[in-house]
Amino acid sequence: MWDLKEYRIAGSPGEAVAMMRRGPGKGVYIAGGTDLFLFPPQCDYAVDINHAGLGAIARTPDGDVFVGAAATLHHIATNPFVTGYAGGLLAQAAAHCGNRPVRSTATLGGNLCNALPSADLAPALLALDAVCYIVDEDSQESLPLEDFFEGPRRTVLGDRLLAGIALPAAGAGWRAAARRLTRSAEDIALVQVAVALSVADGRLGAVRIALGSVAPVPMRAMLAEAQLEGEAVADLSPDRLADAGLIAASECDPIDDHRASAAYRRQMVGVLTRRLLAGLLAEQPRNDDQGSAA
Amino acid sequence: MTHDRQQDAPRTEVGRNVTKIDAFKLARGEPVFTDDIHPPGMLWAKVLGSPHAHARVLEVDATRALALPGVVDVAWHAQVKAIPHTRAGQSHPEPSPWDTVILPPKVRFIGDRVAVVVAETLEVAERALGLIDVRYEVLPALTDMDEALARTDVLIHEDPDPRGIAEGGRTNVAARIDKQVGDVEAALKSCDHVVERTYWLPRVQASHIEPHVAISWLDEDGRLVVKTSTQVPFHLRRILARILELKEADIRVIKPRVGGGFGDKQEMVMEDLVALMTLRTRRPVRLEFTREEELICARVRHPQRIVMTTGVMNDGTIVANRMRVTADTGAYGSHALTVQGNTGQKVLPMYPCAHIHFQVTCLYTNNPISGAFRGYGAPQGCFALECHIDEVAKVLGHDRLELRRKNHIRLGDTDPLSAKLGEGKEGLVRVIRSTGLEKAIELGCEAIGWGQRQEPTAPHLSRGLGMALAMQGSGIAGVDWGAATVKLNEDGSVNLAVGATDIGQGSDTVLAQICAEELGIRYEDVRVLSSDTDLTPFDVGAYASSTTYVSGGAVQKAARAVREQLAAIAAGRWECTTTDVRFGEGQVSGPGGKAWTMAELASHALYQAKVQPMATASHLSNESPPPFAAQFADVEVDRETGEVFLRRFVSAVDCGTPVHPDLVLGQIEGAVAQAIGYGLFEEVIVDAAGRVRNPNFLDYKIASALDMPEMITILVPTEEPSGPFGAKAAGEVPIDGPAPAIVNAICDAVGVRIYRIPATPERVWRQIKEAGE
Amino acid sequence: MRMDLTLNGRPAQWEAAPGATLLAVLRDEGLVAAKRGCETGDCGACTVLLDGQPVNSCVVAAARAHGHRVTTLEGLADDPLMRRLQDALVEHAGVQCGYCSPGMLVSLYHLLRACRAEGTRPGDHAIREALSGNLCRCTGYVKPVAAAAAVAAALAGIPATGTEAR
Repeated sequence: MWDLKEYRIAGSPGEAVAMMRRGPGKGVYIAGGTDLFLFPPQCDYAVDINHAGLGAIARTPDGDVFVGAAATLHHIATNPFVTGYAGGLLAQAAAHCGNRPVRSTATLGGNLCNALPSADLAPALLALDAVCYIVDEDSQESLPLEDFFEGPRRTVLGDRLLAGIALPAAGAGWRAAARRLTRSAEDIALVQVAVALSVADGRLGAVRIALGSVAPVPMRAMLAEAQLEGEAVADLSPDRLADAGLIAASECDPIDDHRASAAYRRQMVGVLTRRLLAGLLAEQPRNDDQGSAA
Repeated sequence: MTHDRQQDAPRTEVGRNVTKIDAFKLARGEPVFTDDIHPPGMLWAKVLGSPHAHARVLEVDATRALALPGVVDVAWHAQVKAIPHTRAGQSHPEPSPWDTVILPPKVRFIGDRVAVVVAETLEVAERALGLIDVRYEVLPALTDMDEALARTDVLIHEDPDPRGIAEGGRTNVAARIDKQVGDVEAALKSCDHVVERTYWLPRVQASHIEPHVAISWLDEDGRLVVKTSTQVPFHLRRILARILELKEADIRVIKPRVGGGFGDKQEMVMEDLVALMTLRTRRPVRLEFTREEELICARVRHPQRIVMTTGVMNDGTIVANRMRVTADTGAYGSHALTVQGNTGQKVLPMYPCAHIHFQVTCLYTNNPISGAFRGYGAPQGCFALECHIDEVAKVLGHDRLELRRKNHIRLGDTDPLSAKLGEGKEGLVRVIRSTGLEKAIELGCEAIGWGQRQEPTAPHLSRGLGMALAMQGSGIAGVDWGAATVKLNEDGSVNLAVGATDIGQGSDTVLAQICAEELGIRYEDVRVLSSDTDLTPFDVGAYASSTTYVSGGAVQKAARAVREQLAAIAAGRWECTTTDVRFGEGQVSGPGGKAWTMAELASHALYQAKVQPMATASHLSNESPPPFAAQFADVEVDRETGEVFLRRFVSAVDCGTPVHPDLVLGQIEGAVAQAIGYGLFEEVIVDAAGRVRNPNFLDYKIASALDMPEMITILVPTEEPSGPFGAKAAGEVPIDGPAPAIVNAICDAVGVRIYRIPATPERVWRQIKEAGE
Repeated sequence: MRMDLTLNGRPAQWEAAPGATLLAVLRDEGLVAAKRGCETGDCGACTVLLDGQPVNSCVVAAARAHGHRVTTLEGLADDPLMRRLQDALVEHAGVQCGYCSPGMLVSLYHLLRACRAEGTRPGDHAIREALSGNLCRCTGYVKPVAAAAAVAAALAGIPATGTEAR
């Protein structure tokens, strides 16, 4: 039982921040609550942002796709702007997160702000160059998602509020695919890899390789990306792709825990990165692999 | 049981897929479970669990907790009389050691009972736990079974009256078994090949979706009433009476609908605590486990290490089999002797040979408590044996199917091991009087396409097939018994009261079918009352695959007795002999075209003859005929990630006569789902300090709808002469074979043997990697 | 805190602790079809509809219901689609212990109502996806999936009336 003294419902992002700062005591933002109720934090009040106008998914005039922090995972998984962006990478990540009833209430904001190393949306968002929008009582700032996570369960937010993320227009046509490795169909991911890339005139443009569950925070494998950017697709032999995978594996920083060893996780980063790259380069963007663990 | 109603009459009720008796109320979500209705004035209990794996509880100061508004009472060991007992929930005399008291002065695992608090609300009870001050003397913890065996300087149970503990509390051995038929050591010397391998089995949890929950109160006569989600209402009453020093007649145990049990609700996990607090406060008390408490404080399947040694001749004849089991019973010895006994007794008879040696060392540790879980030792033994048979075939270069066919048990074979191993004592010789095993193998092979491996669906995948055979029992021979009361009403309907315990498997339905068949009425005319110790006759409860076979036998006898009473009444009216009176399809007929509906006869009995047709019968079987299963898995294995994708699973099962075929299929399908978890992903992980690392469903995974393969389930009916209408058991045998079948299929696909389950992606990957190096 | 909501089609007022879950309040109100199974949103025994979407009421704040629509299995008792699903689950022997049945039925109802509105027929995989949040330890899911498939095959003929039918 969560020992809250007060449940405040905010009508706007600015009001949410004001409510958070009002005290007395300690507060927490709540949207879906599916993570908060698992291990309720010690606090005095919760600030509900479901009525703060942050639930929408929209295309901006610039062509970016904006996903509000209170957008539910089910909404993200089925929204046409998201399913139509970069092969639907983010939509698929949302669709594999938790189970159907969880996805009805769990939100983008919750998934990111809990800042677990295994956050299911993070690799896809990192691979798509997502930008975070953070609101204060009367100001707003944006920063790349890479800079949002500070450590396990730690972000740059403080008592500010994540309003949402934007997927830049430039990435809408990227090829992208992801894979999460699990013990059973519905499980915390042991390893997550998301890859997005653009191909123009037979050459790779942008390459993004994002990893989850293999470091204190979700991360990009930038050395591996740099090995591939600008390369001619025709030159990318299976060995080159395997090398890129090995580089990505060397960049991650996994731990041993009761779910898997660090050695296994690292090795799998290499395998999955290679397979995802090969799949994407084989023209037909496809979601790698089989059955229950796909 | 040899004669049933008119032998020639076709069966109309047994073998029919009737509507499960409680299905509609369950599907409508009606308030039928223990926690759905609360008595007025009820208090909420919570248990303070030990933070230490092994410690003496020196002092408990509840002053601060009792000062919290809403807290009514706190109990700890110094306030409660310590009467040694076992919470295993078995028949008297119990084969498990009496190594427990209600609140122990020494805690033996993280989560062990330190104190219990009751309060006006759950929130207050939870808060009060943090206000109980406890002083512990922390003792060294033994969490490794080999260390527990080696050390006698640290004793987990050194109690002065360690009744039933194997070595009297001088070591950490909770139970030992050493039984031999023939002379294995000598026989191995003459064999062409001796194959020895070691297998490791994990700790898994029953994970019934309804947690343990119990509510107790005092009735208007001051008697203790306990409404609880249990498999064993009568054993529970007996144990409660002894440890609370009450008369059995002053305790009423009511079992409402139960949301799954699987053995975990055979144990008295919490009923003593609610009863204690009701007696102390004179108020209703309710306790329910959270899922976290389930995974820490309920029971787990015994983890084991099994060394299999098999001596075999070049022609594939198995000459000698030795199974050496080391097992971890955790903090208490619930089922320590008997689960481990089953590991050999239910498994080794599959391949009869002249020389069999079975050894068990079962150890106390400071880990969570192991206990009963569907299969009861057999899943562990079956995994070892059925993997081992594949290994033996590989050594011999023989076909693994043919090796099984050559050696498996057959009709008329005796099982010498069962005579040496009963329920914790000498048992009874078992002769196989019905078996569909050969047919099951044949049908299963056909369904899976044995010998024709399918193509993998992607280049990095390899495909393979595996199989396993299994046998179990039907109740415990000479021990399990039950009783039933059949009472006819004046409209021809029947009330059937049984002590047998429906825990979701559908036993009320099956017993009503047996009753109707024997009486010659329709199932729809039978109403069942199950498991209220005030109102129903005795039954040992729902465990050991006993309900259809043993309790069904009691129902059949009681119904037959009522039929005989009715025959006498009709014969009196019609002036004929009772043998001339025939029953069937709701009709009773006599010579010369005389006929009554059952309603007319019943009305005549009650209003003319003025007798109540009614009987109570008891039934015990000195046999425990094994049901058989042949199970087959089709898997794909990712050679680079170690992931295993189970594509198809076939079970062919002989359970004698399927009284309700759909319910039998449901038993098999559900058992397979549990066993897929056992083989592939379920494990309660306990660290070296004795702490459970994954005590929730986020991280302890049980199979979801997306984990299930294509399932093909085949019934192979036989007619068991000792069972009601030819029935044997079905509930446990299908949980034994899936894990070895899957692991054998993995081996077929990628050529590596997984000796330790679950076969997680990492374990498979490691084996593949090691084989490549 | 006080909340106003639409509960099973009727206006309702609740007084509940700020940190209470929707499940705790429903069960206190005597609506016990939703069950407590895991309290982490994994088993689905507590599944109810919030604004027509299936949710795990054990990890949703009761306060979330303020100004919203909550529908439990009890509230769908007269809905033709739910009744058909209940009949099918029973006929297919998909009910064993029955503890997970209410949650399964709410999830399946949600799937099939959406399919009926779209005029589609869910396949085996879609049914399993819809059930993926409802853990069942008894059935192995074979019979519940078959029951849902049988109702799905006859979906067009089931009238859309009742509390949640829109």
